[in-house]
Amino acid sequence: MAVSTMPVSGPASSARQPEASRGMSDLAIRNLFIIPTVTFLIIFNVFPLIYSLGYSFTDYAANRNAPAEFVGLKNYRDLLTDERIWSNFIITAEYVIVSVAGQMLVGFGLALLLNRSFPMKGLVTTLLLLPMMMSAAVVGLFWQLLYSPSWGPINYLFGLGDFAWLSNPDSALYAVAITDIWMWSPFVMLLSLAGLSAVPQHLYEAAAIDRASTWYTFTRITLPLVTPLLLIALIFRTMEAFKTFDIAYTMTTQPTAELISIRLYKQAFQQWDTGKSCALAYIVLIMVLAITNIYVKYLNQAKER
Amino acid sequence: MFRKTLTALCVGAGLAFAPLATAHGEELTIFWAEWDPANYLQELVNDYTKETGVKVTVQTTPWPDFQTKAFTEFNAHGDAYDMVVGDSQWLGAGSTQGHYVDLTKFFNDHKLNDVMAPATIKYYAEYPGGSAKYWAIPLEGDAIGWAYRKDWFEDPKEMAAFKAKYGRDLGIPKTYGELRDIAEFFHRPDQKRYGVAIYTDNSYDAMAMGVESAIFSYGGELGDYATYKVDGIVNSKEAADGLAMYKELYKFTPPGWGKTFFVEDNQAITGGLAAMSMNFFAFFPALVNKSSNPHADQTGFFANPAGPGGKRFAALGGQGISVVSYSKKQAESMKFLEWFIKDDTQKKWAALGGYTCSQAVLKSEAFQKATPYNKAFFDTMFMVKDFWATPEYAEVLDQMNQNIYPYVVGGKGTAQEALDATDKAWTETFKKYKRYN
Amino acid sequence: MAAVRSKNTALVNRLAIAAVLLATVVFLGPIYWIGSTAFKPKDLAITTPPTVFFEPEITPFIRLFTKRVQMQKQVDPADYAAAPWWEQRIYDGGERVLKVGSTAQLSQYPDRFANSLIVAIISTVLAVSMGTITAYGFSRFKMPGEDDLLFFILSTRMLPPVVVAIPMFLMYRIVGLNDSHLGLIILYVAFNLSFSVWLMKGFMDEIPKEYEEAALVDGYTRLQAFWKIVLPEAATGIAATAVFCFITAWNEYAFALIMTNRRAQTAPPYIPSQVGSGLPDWTTIAAGTFLFLLPVAIFTFLLRSHLLRGVTFGAIRK
Repeated sequence: MAVSTMPVSGPASSARQPEASRGMSDLAIRNLFIIPTVTFLIIFNVFPLIYSLGYSFTDYAANRNAPAEFVGLKNYRDLLTDERIWSNFIITAEYVIVSVAGQMLVGFGLALLLNRSFPMKGLVTTLLLLPMMMSAAVVGLFWQLLYSPSWGPINYLFGLGDFAWLSNPDSALYAVAITDIWMWSPFVMLLSLAGLSAVPQHLYEAAAIDRASTWYTFTRITLPLVTPLLLIALIFRTMEAFKTFDIAYTMTTQPTAELISIRLYKQAFQQWDTGKSCALAYIVLIMVLAITNIYVKYLNQAKER
Repeated sequence: MFRKTLTALCVGAGLAFAPLATAHGEELTIFWAEWDPANYLQELVNDYTKETGVKVTVQTTPWPDFQTKAFTEFNAHGDAYDMVVGDSQWLGAGSTQGHYVDLTKFFNDHKLNDVMAPATIKYYAEYPGGSAKYWAIPLEGDAIGWAYRKDWFEDPKEMAAFKAKYGRDLGIPKTYGELRDIAEFFHRPDQKRYGVAIYTDNSYDAMAMGVESAIFSYGGELGDYATYKVDGIVNSKEAADGLAMYKELYKFTPPGWGKTFFVEDNQAITGGLAAMSMNFFAFFPALVNKSSNPHADQTGFFANPAGPGGKRFAALGGQGISVVSYSKKQAESMKFLEWFIKDDTQKKWAALGGYTCSQAVLKSEAFQKATPYNKAFFDTMFMVKDFWATPEYAEVLDQMNQNIYPYVVGGKGTAQEALDATDKAWTETFKKYKRYN
Repeated sequence: MAAVRSKNTALVNRLAIAAVLLATVVFLGPIYWIGSTAFKPKDLAITTPPTVFFEPEITPFIRLFTKRVQMQKQVDPADYAAAPWWEQRIYDGGERVLKVGSTAQLSQYPDRFANSLIVAIISTVLAVSMGTITAYGFSRFKMPGEDDLLFFILSTRMLPPVVVAIPMFLMYRIVGLNDSHLGLIILYVAFNLSFSVWLMKGFMDEIPKEYEEAALVDGYTRLQAFWKIVLPEAATGIAATAVFCFITAWNEYAFALIMTNRRAQTAPPYIPSQVGSGLPDWTTIAAGTFLFLLPVAIFTFLLRSHLLRGVTFGAIRK
């Protein structure tokens, strides 16, 4: 770490320094630490947000030289009455639920298993993190191969013969979800492990002395202390799941697997329907905000405990 | 902490601005998709650099992202690219939205109508149709063609069995009906052998190209490109029959064939999976080289077959090179184009592997004998038809994909229903763009 | 009682180990497959059953670093004989190396790799630093509108990149940040900050305030307490945050694709593009992926002890 500019005067040699020379005041530090970050984020998010919001009320198409015309809520109305959009939303919701639930269960489960000392723990943990270290586009590409009925190992190893994971409209979405779970469980695992290793040993020892059952220990000691980190994992994975694009787009083009972000991409970059795609983005944003809000409330509650 | 952040910021800023500080020689950038023809073009333009000292870089990006990146830059009026080798479908957007420089004068000055093959001028350069206004110089000719396993076709046992079952000789199919029969004949999943490989990827235009090849040969059309009338045309009986045939062929494809483009269709041949495979001619070089295709010696090629009515067409691929109107080096680009259209350059272009559109080169014996597929290519280039080139083609394409894909791959509904839905969607779109005045 | 307990624990332990082994196979299997494909000859890349044992070769890496094209005919034997060993390997694959004069042309991979390194490292350092101090601010001090500010920070990560891309593209064009390292760095910092702040706050909240209070009583300034006491305790959080931010920046695709061109484009949009010459070259893609994986893996491995250490003080808990 860089060298701090604070003089390290031995504290023992100077007891009870007067307020004035105790470095910066708490208020100053607080502002210094928080305000630059917030300002930075405001600058880099406000423009896109306002731009998108503004265009969502027009019929602007970025590829036509015609000026944008105000159309009020027409874009929003068109979108919300479009059958295909609703099916996109339902598909995305299904995907988010399956994928995030899968990641949380597998990730947390793995963390529980790894939360003991064993040889080469560091190495094994690092290795298990590898799936999420690859670019989503590459993961999609290779898993497409893995799922291939003609050349892929999966059908071969599980004796599934000709089953076409990605070409079958019913299974395409779940195939993508499985890949997503594979890729991101390590994320949940790492956060859970960090949380689990923060639970003080002496609490476990006290519980053991009291002859507490494993279930009791788990639900009354482990879980509450890990919950804050678990919820952070949940919040971020949910947000990311809603935005999933690369993996799904590379693997399959089935309409039954058309996630909302794929639809957004097509609207914005193939049809250049800028106004509508901005409106759609805002609808998605509001949904994600609402859901995340609920999670955050839980998180705050969990921390009060 | 603070200091460290500050230092890091300065380092970052320094690194970011460093490239800007390097001197600017004469440089041109051509933007294309990432595939071998772009590599051949880079080789070709290295000659130009040798002659003139102007550095020409062919910048590429993968096919799925090509349209996105190009149009993002265009719509922002950016000058990152001086020239672009755009798809034929981009002509409408490129010309009406002011992204392409009008090359009509260039065409007339250099009498390009005599130099390049007529079909290529019509589809790669002229917009609107019949207007004699030109926006691109045909660079890479391409169309849908077919590869097939000669050894399977010429195996005496197979020939006898085929004759017994279908009552005619096993040979290169002249009609789609014959193609279908051959596909059915060779479709043996238990032996991991399948009848045919076709395009089904609906993320861009792959499937559309395959489908329209069938529709065109069946005498159908996608609409009247001049009047934008689609009702009764795109959903005519002929078109429906053509689409139904395409779906029929999907039955004889290998398993998991729901998102396929040139890669998979070539793999169907190199992997010994299918008896016949459709692909753009641009991708056939990989099939004639023994090192990339173990069956190279047994791979033959034929042009898209005719429909039951005797009409014969193939979907056009290919691109023309245009000058980007936001580029600051238009004069330099024009000089480059003058060099490009020279006969010598076109000959070298063909020799390197580019699919020249120059009539002289195309008709020459040398060209037609150069590779096993050149003759089929030559034949095809006189019977090509294209997709919509109107500015809203992307929307039109997406709607077609949306409606056709569930039918062909998912087996939902009928061909007529799929085309009726397409008709409805397209009419809406054209109304939106006020095409029906 | 104790004996039953230990038998249970032994069984549980064995099950745990079995489960871990299973997990390792499931998670690492595909990775091993990709990694090994990087060393296979082209024809063994996709075989059923998958080839596990083979003679490794580095031809895919040679292909990765050179610009090549498909050859239509087989190579002229004279040319082949005159070529250096690595060029011969390319000829064996039915391709030839593009040359300017007589020097072989490098593919774009090294450039892109370097760009990735620059952008990822700098943006991670910034995101982690800013995130940590901001998290500390929120964790230790009362800030008016704290919950709202935190939620705002979280919301910066909610918009899908495809939509943010167009306005950002235009904004960058005006400022001149298009196709620049700095532009991408700023974008990644902005993107990663939300995660950085939230995760670090999560860790900081776990560190008992009593330590700093004790230090303050002892005469340390607030900043000293932060530096000497809180930061070391938060090492796990910092390590985890750094790893995740680095991975995110390293693998980011959408913005890298849209915002950058030749000068500053990173590797992710480039690696899958090897699929272009009419036939997929899985071995080269695997080689590119393998090399690209190394920095991340090494970085994480180096930090592993911090990642697993956890907050072990625990003597005083809330």
